[in-house]
Amino acid sequence: MSSWLHPALFFFLGSLLLPFFQGKARKALLLLIPALAIIAVAMAEQGIYGQYRFLNVDGVFGRVDKLSLIFAWVFTIMAFLGALYSLHREESGHHIAGFLYVGSSLGAIFAGDYFTLFIFWEIMAFSSVFLIWYRRTKNALDAGFRYLLVHVFGGLLFFTGMMLTYYKTGSFAFNSIAPGNAGLAEYLILWGFALNAAVLPLHAWLPDAYPEATVEGAVFLCAFTTKTAVYVLARGFAGFEVLAIMGTAMTVFGVCYAVIENDIRRVLAYHIISQVGYMVAGIGIGTHLALNGAAAHAFAHILYKALLFMGAGAVLFMTGTAKLTQLGGLYRTMPLTMIFYIVGAVSIAGFPLFSGFVSKSMIVAAAHQEGRLWLMNFLNLAGIGTFLSVGLKVTYFAFFGKGEPVAAKEPPANMLWAMGITSLLCLVIGVYPDALYVLLPFASDYRPYNLHHLSEALQILSFTGLVFFLLLAKLSPEEKINLDVDYFYRKAVWHFLRFDDKVIAVFDNLWGELYRTLGLRALFKSADLSYGFDRQVIDGIVDGSAASTMDLGSTVRRLQTGRIQTYIALSLIIFFVVVLLFAVI
Amino acid sequence: MKLAELIGTLRENLKTLRIVMIVYLAVLVVFDVFLSREDAHYIIDKIYAYWAIFGTIGCFVLIKFSKGIAHMFLSKNEDYYE
Repeated sequence: MSSWLHPALFFFLGSLLLPFFQGKARKALLLLIPALAIIAVAMAEQGIYGQYRFLNVDGVFGRVDKLSLIFAWVFTIMAFLGALYSLHREESGHHIAGFLYVGSSLGAIFAGDYFTLFIFWEIMAFSSVFLIWYRRTKNALDAGFRYLLVHVFGGLLFFTGMMLTYYKTGSFAFNSIAPGNAGLAEYLILWGFALNAAVLPLHAWLPDAYPEATVEGAVFLCAFTTKTAVYVLARGFAGFEVLAIMGTAMTVFGVCYAVIENDIRRVLAYHIISQVGYMVAGIGIGTHLALNGAAAHAFAHILYKALLFMGAGAVLFMTGTAKLTQLGGLYRTMPLTMIFYIVGAVSIAGFPLFSGFVSKSMIVAAAHQEGRLWLMNFLNLAGIGTFLSVGLKVTYFAFFGKGEPVAAKEPPANMLWAMGITSLLCLVIGVYPDALYVLLPFASDYRPYNLHHLSEALQILSFTGLVFFLLLAKLSPEEKINLDVDYFYRKAVWHFLRFDDKVIAVFDNLWGELYRTLGLRALFKSADLSYGFDRQVIDGIVDGSAASTMDLGSTVRRLQTGRIQTYIALSLIIFFVVVLLFAVI
Repeated sequence: MKLAELIGTLRENLKTLRIVMIVYLAVLVVFDVFLSREDAHYIIDKIYAYWAIFGTIGCFVLIKFSKGIAHMFLSKNEDYYE
């Protein structure tokens, strides 16, 4: 058996080393760690590694196969790009949180059983929240706590399902589940996973938390949590119809919000829901082409979504805002950022020669192949919304727009380099899709570049562009936020407090008043009564008993002379009496 | 910066740009009409320029629906939760 080095090790050990390095040495270390991890992934051979036994549990740290490897590839590449993008950041705590987050994501995708998966699953939630808290605003702090609470809830669903499975089968083995065999335990695990994939209606944590994260943290966040969830769903729940339906619903839901949001990072966050929807739908369709599509799309998506978050982050970093209503004309001052953002936008929209064209289309083609035309049409409708919101709306209102150009300049070199390399990767995948296809879990002869697909994609995108310019006035961003289901846990608390303030407090006051007027009077009256009762009745009885107690006391006092011989005499008498009694018997 | 100048020139010649775009859209539709439909399985594969129609209507509906529902009840002031 060949040996295997877990890529997560580099991140965990690296995060321990980071605090001891400063300046250039730390920057070098920040890039070296993910680079070593990429090499470890490149050298990994398929197999089962790192089996252990702990508390009667058989665990597996390393299930290395094509499905886990494709995610490991993109996770480590993304970690490198994310580290490059955040190189300028001074706090080592932020870098440590990022590395622990990446490391635990890698741990989760290589985990071969529920127990190991659960441990890494929880480390992910608790390390990633710091990428939000490091923003150091009140909104970020609050959003971080909500993020944690929601993920703890998801973890509980997963944990309950995992324990029920153990109760039923006596093992934590995590393998593909047939839709027909799924019971309560399996569905609890499914929804625990689905929460991390932001499946409706468990999605609101994502657009609540990610836009509040640090500029650099958001680049990490957008990549790992949802895609780890996509991996575990693909591993365990391929072919579940509920995923096909919910995934397609997510694609359309996400773009509807992306069309109306104002903050660029909120647009992008809602759009993650839409994109992960494609992957979830692919998993739900469950054919080899669809699963390949889900994996390929996860790979491509991580890169271009990170690129978009880098671009939006650069705008926020340099101008202090990411609100479309306050931006405009940036093409003059941040042309490179604009070019990189547009590369991300056309990649996500699925333009020919860019990565979305070769990945998203596999899922759409799988729906078409299975004759699921409703799914196919809705997936393509979401494609319209993608280009409309992330591509046209954000680009137009941030980088062009009619308003006065915002004063700004290009971001630091490390940010530009990160965006440049990511742009290049999006282009390489688009032009040379076999580079990606060779990593796919199943053999496939899918060819994205055929005339029908080209015609379909160009028609959809171009006519979307036409309607965008016709309805441009309708699309102007507004200084608003939009309600989502987080309303229920954000406003419900507020309503409870209001209820407490208005109803319970009023009732409390009323009760207090009632008590004061009626209660106290009654109390005084009853106090009078009991006083009388006490004096007349109790005292009578007590005095009587007191008198008899005093009599007894004086008798005892006569016995208690305090002389030792009296006590000895007394005890001897008692002794003889006892002996005599026994003798009689 | 040359890119900024290029974009500036394009913005000054919006009329020409518009004509170019309309010609491009027409070419797309014509191209689709001439595509072979021999292995078309489903009705949507047989309709000429189906995705052009779909794109136009879909985009219109998405904008109207999203903005409509936002104005109806989703949209709130930014300090709503504070």
